[in-house]
Amino acid sequence: MHRAGLVLSLLLAPGVLWAQASQFGVRGLGFPGRALAVRSQGTAGGFGLFDPESSQNPAALASLGALTSVFTISQNFRTVENPAGTASLRGTRFPQLMVGGPVQSMPAAVGFSYSNYTTRDFTLATGSTIDLRGVPVSVTDTFSSRGGLSDFRIAGAYRFSDRWALGGAFHIISGSNRLTSTRIFDDPAYLSSRQHSELSYAGAGISLGLTRQFGPRFAVAGLVRADGHVNVDRDSTRVATVDLPYTFGLGLRWNPAAVLNVAAQTLVRTWSGANDDLLALGGNGAQNTIEVAAGAEYFTDRRQPTRQPIRFGARYATMAFPLVPGEQGHEFGLSIGSSLRFAQQRAGIDLSLEHVWRSEGVYSERAFLLSFGISVRP
Amino acid sequence: MRWSFGVIVAATILCACQEKLTSPADCPALCPGGTPQVFDTVLTAVAGADSTYTGYVQAHQAAAMPVTNGLEGFEQRGLVRFLARGDSVTLRDTLRGYTIDSVSLSFTLVTRDTTTTGLELLLYRVGPRFDSTTTYTDVAPAFVPESLVAVVPIADTVNSGILRTVLQGADLSKVQLSPADSGNLAIGLRLSAPTFTGVRIGALAGNSSPVFTTYATLDVPDTGTAKLRNIALTAGANTTVSEAPPLVMDTTLLAVGGAPSSRSLIRFDLPPRIRDSATIVRASIELTPVAPIIGLPNTNGSDTLPTAVVAKPLLADVGAKSPVSIDPRRIPKDTLDVGATGVSLEAVRLVELWIGFAPRPSSIMLSLEPEASSFSHPVFYSSRALDPALRPRLRLSYLLRFPFEGP
Repeated sequence: MHRAGLVLSLLLAPGVLWAQASQFGVRGLGFPGRALAVRSQGTAGGFGLFDPESSQNPAALASLGALTSVFTISQNFRTVENPAGTASLRGTRFPQLMVGGPVQSMPAAVGFSYSNYTTRDFTLATGSTIDLRGVPVSVTDTFSSRGGLSDFRIAGAYRFSDRWALGGAFHIISGSNRLTSTRIFDDPAYLSSRQHSELSYAGAGISLGLTRQFGPRFAVAGLVRADGHVNVDRDSTRVATVDLPYTFGLGLRWNPAAVLNVAAQTLVRTWSGANDDLLALGGNGAQNTIEVAAGAEYFTDRRQPTRQPIRFGARYATMAFPLVPGEQGHEFGLSIGSSLRFAQQRAGIDLSLEHVWRSEGVYSERAFLLSFGISVRP
Repeated sequence: MRWSFGVIVAATILCACQEKLTSPADCPALCPGGTPQVFDTVLTAVAGADSTYTGYVQAHQAAAMPVTNGLEGFEQRGLVRFLARGDSVTLRDTLRGYTIDSVSLSFTLVTRDTTTTGLELLLYRVGPRFDSTTTYTDVAPAFVPESLVAVVPIADTVNSGILRTVLQGADLSKVQLSPADSGNLAIGLRLSAPTFTGVRIGALAGNSSPVFTTYATLDVPDTGTAKLRNIALTAGANTTVSEAPPLVMDTTLLAVGGAPSSRSLIRFDLPPRIRDSATIVRASIELTPVAPIIGLPNTNGSDTLPTAVVAKPLLADVGAKSPVSIDPRRIPKDTLDVGATGVSLEAVRLVELWIGFAPRPSSIMLSLEPEASSFSHPVFYSSRALDPALRPRLRLSYLLRFPFEGP
């Protein structure tokens, strides 16, 4: 009863989750999330396809040894630069929530999670002078969006042997964007104008994954995911259907020493499938993306690997939704992290710090992402 | 232990940080949907659908009495009838007679031309039988030197406030009440000044009634303070009479003000593109007077009832008796300046009522404040003016629905 209550409360807590805001999330569906738990973020995502607390590979759930719930808080500190100026921004998000555990008397595990699919969370401000009634009037325009898409995943994994595990998941992709356009006039004779619109999204997808252990030191993970399409309604009226990408992932994990784990992975997403749909809506289109990540986990206490390990990693990724048609942005990140377990391993805290650089032509962004994960194994 | 401390610090940072999401936008890359566009348009009143109606506020209902010595080419005089004064006073359950020691007459100066000096308010004894139909000619015989009760000088430094005069001794005979008066003292007000000018004197409807106070000694045997009584009487009626002939309205023009007051109903027709989907950021109702505005100049800083043209939104359009909104946020006004050749009312809050799910009639009722007590009587061109530039106009600045880009 206690466990059920905990699970229910965690499920009901945040209805919508977002990862981090970015000026590169202004266009298209927003800035794609990574569905990673903090322990994988500490390795720049290198362990993402092997991490049962992340939501990338359903097969990874098979490695859960106990009922586990994970909640993630992320604070970002960003500096954005574009031809209009520079700004230092910050925001707090809750990008990942996961509950999962093994099935009794079966070599299987099930779980569900809420994770960020895309974030379209920004406020943009411009100033200009326009001629009204023959008089120049200074105006300030702000355009803001709050929201994004969330991925609710119901997943199961089955371990066929000590070496093989297969997993499958059903994804419900939903969310909304609350858009506001505001114009404020310096001349008090003019009232400010504020207009609202709301976009809502609904779609579904499936994913299949596997993990294969080759001996005690080497493992491979694979992922195939199809998200179909998402229906877009504006103020309750269907305005578009946007194709969502297929995702293909391959991960390698190597355990060269008892105190060191190394992993790398590549994820390819076919966002270009949404290109025509977005262009038809007046957007800038979309492009395929690739993400390459590699990281390592060093155990400072060999007998207790979960006690203050040191994680680090690096990644490179291209971005799906260009700010300028025809261009494609990219990002590079360096991560470091660790964790702490207590209460007889029943509770834990994970920390990670990532520094990312993003750019597309004259638009750039630097960010520190500080993430804090709480895991409970009741 | 150090770990725990670090965790607590990290958690504090995470939880304590305030969001800041506003960044500069470089258009068009960072302006999905573009930037809002403001459109400007001028709508003229619906042709032939504007009219002037007269008879709303009568002179005796005005908030103040305009008294002039020929400011607009004619003279205006005030008439005040005080409440009846009895010939005895009740003291200790007994009616007592009294002896009048003195009386005072007080009037509230509401407005004056602050640059004109040497003003005097002349008080005449007039018959108490006047009413709302009394004309200038009816009471003119009373404004003779023999009827002069008092001359109240208006100090050059007094822009507004109480004007008071006290009568005693032989002067008391000037305000002595006879049985024919039925206890009512009636006073006529006339202005004397070296130049043509005017003042406004507080009236009953403006809660600044003139006051007639009698200081009396009661006919009682003891010699205590109970003997002394003040009998203060406010006006029971007041009105203004004008030397000007009755106004003959030109039905092709729009007039406001006067006594009895006139109001003008003006109708506009918003195009569907504005009515259905526009966000109006500025709306100006522009009116062109047939002649420059006349009135009392130089009242700034002294006028507690400044003259202004106001436009009230109609709750329903049923013509002259249309109910109007009394929400002050929806009623624009423009203070009238003497000599002005145009009137402009910022009416965006009013025009907002004309759009939306339950729109009000796109009409306004134009009037003058304070009604029936202003020196101005502006007359504007109507929708029948041959030159479209002279017709009542509604100048709108608005934004259409922002083209929010899809995802």
